[in-house]
Amino acid sequence: MRYLSLYQEGNSLLHKIDPITKLLFVIIAILVPIIINTLTMALAFFIISTLLVFVARAFKRTLPIISFSSLVIITVLFIQGLFYLKNQTPFFTLGPFVFYKEGLLYATGIAIRIFNIINAVAVLIFTTKPSDLIEALVKKGVSPKIGYVFSSVLQIIPQMMSIVDTILDAQKARGLETEGSFTKRAKAFIPLIGPAVLNSLISTKERAMALEVRGFNSKKKKTFLNEVPYNKYSNVLQVALIAILVFSIIWRIISW
Amino acid sequence: MDEVIRVQNLSFAYKQDYEVLKNISLVFDKKSTAIIGQNGAGKTTFVKLLKGLLKPTSGEIYIKGYNTKEVSTAFLSKYIGLVFQNPNDQIFKNTVLEEVMFGPLNILKDKKQAQENAIKALEMVGLQDKMHIHPYDLGLSDRKLVSIASIVSMDPDIIILDEPTIAQDHKGNTIIKNVIKELKEKGKLVITITHDMDFVAEIFERTIVLNEGIILLDGNTREVFSQQEILKKAYLELPHVAQLAKKLGIKQTLLTEQELINFLKHNKLNN
Ligand SMILES: Nc1ncnc2c1ncn2[C@@H]1O[C@H](COP(=O)(O)OP(=O)(O)OP(=O)(O)O)[C@@H](O)[C@H]1O
Ligand SMILES: [Mg+2]
Repeated sequence: MRYLSLYQEGNSLLHKIDPITKLLFVIIAILVPIIINTLTMALAFFIISTLLVFVARAFKRTLPIISFSSLVIITVLFIQGLFYLKNQTPFFTLGPFVFYKEGLLYATGIAIRIFNIINAVAVLIFTTKPSDLIEALVKKGVSPKIGYVFSSVLQIIPQMMSIVDTILDAQKARGLETEGSFTKRAKAFIPLIGPAVLNSLISTKERAMALEVRGFNSKKKKTFLNEVPYNKYSNVLQVALIAILVFSIIWRIISW
Repeated sequence: MDEVIRVQNLSFAYKQDYEVLKNISLVFDKKSTAIIGQNGAGKTTFVKLLKGLLKPTSGEIYIKGYNTKEVSTAFLSKYIGLVFQNPNDQIFKNTVLEEVMFGPLNILKDKKQAQENAIKALEMVGLQDKMHIHPYDLGLSDRKLVSIASIVSMDPDIIILDEPTIAQDHKGNTIIKNVIKELKEKGKLVITITHDMDFVAEIFERTIVLNEGIILLDGNTREVFSQQEILKKAYLELPHVAQLAKKLGIKQTLLTEQELINFLKHNKLNN
């Protein structure tokens, strides 16, 4: 079954770590810099998540996302550098524009936090199969129904796309021009919608029946098909990650 | 010999570095042709390339002189029709008649003529009474017949059938054989992929054996079936009649029941 997924096969260390640990890392990489709201903390996590992107050998695939968000961040840099409320110390001038140190620092902080989040999430999605993540969550006690809804959502789009491809082929094969001008393609596409939706409804119904005959709704405790041999240190890692979160909360309360 | 299809040094890969077809060159004339080979040999891929649904990774295919890389699939459909292996990949209309009319309507642009052709094709496969049914309310075997009718109704010069006899009972088989014979009589090139060797022996003049992306054997059906050793390499069996004849110690390759009967009668008289 095809998934809507950015996962790519690999054998980096991060591919071998279990999905929950990676998910936990994403949560912590986002929360801790918020809880302890200093530039140093943001920078620390930014460095860690960037390193992990390299360890996961996912730099090439993260780069497009980074460059796209850089567009936004450059505008932030401009606006804050020019107009930040606490602007006092001029840093440099560009033609008629004066950029201030305070604004630039503030914008850099935002940038580092955004890149940190992007990198952390990239590590997760580029090294984890969605189905593995969902299965791991279900193992941790998330309801299988919710797991199923998530995995269906990820499956339905590629499934629709392949149905559309199949029907397009069938139409081309019988003389309907589907290439070329916009009107031609629109004309081919409209009669497609009906069967595409109908076919996916039919397969949804069939899938529901297939699940039912295999006891999906059974109240018995379920076993799992895949006993994935993840890195044996994952428990240690998870405890460490949670400890970091707890410490940061305590730190925040104490230093208030 | 008038050439209908020319294939030149054709190679094809779905994924990089994994060639499904390797440097195939051949010519089709009007002789009805069977393509055989084990699962995954590349038969479906090959006919999809002929049809223009896939484009060669390297090499050239000419359908009645048109290079499939240079014209659209829709344009080619006037000349070459393909009945898909799985009818569900082909059927998308709400009634059998509409389904069968879809092709001729695209080519002819004349509704009355299209309907006439469609009804004729449905009669040919014996579905004239089921014209207004939703195709998905038919069983798989009837759906396969619908998909055959929807190509026949377009009246192309080349008709390719991808495993037409799957899920067919004796009656369905007979219908399909008759359709093929009728198409042959009309002077059309019929190419069929099949796993049914008896069907090959009975109907087709020429047989091509595909194995792991190359052509292992190509020739007169009788000649191909006399190469038992090579066929074994491709995990293919002889037609039942030929097997029986071998067991009877007959040296010749006999293909049909009638041939075997004639042979036995003749020999009895001689002894
Ligand atoms: N859409 C596709 N994408 C990638 N690989 C494919 C695709 N379709 C087929 N293949 C692969 O190409 C090879 C040839 O497949 P093909 O369907 O042409 O075989 P076939 O001879 O028609 O087999 P069968 O007798 O089972 O119908 C197989 O290894 C198959 O897995
Ligand atoms: Mg096939």
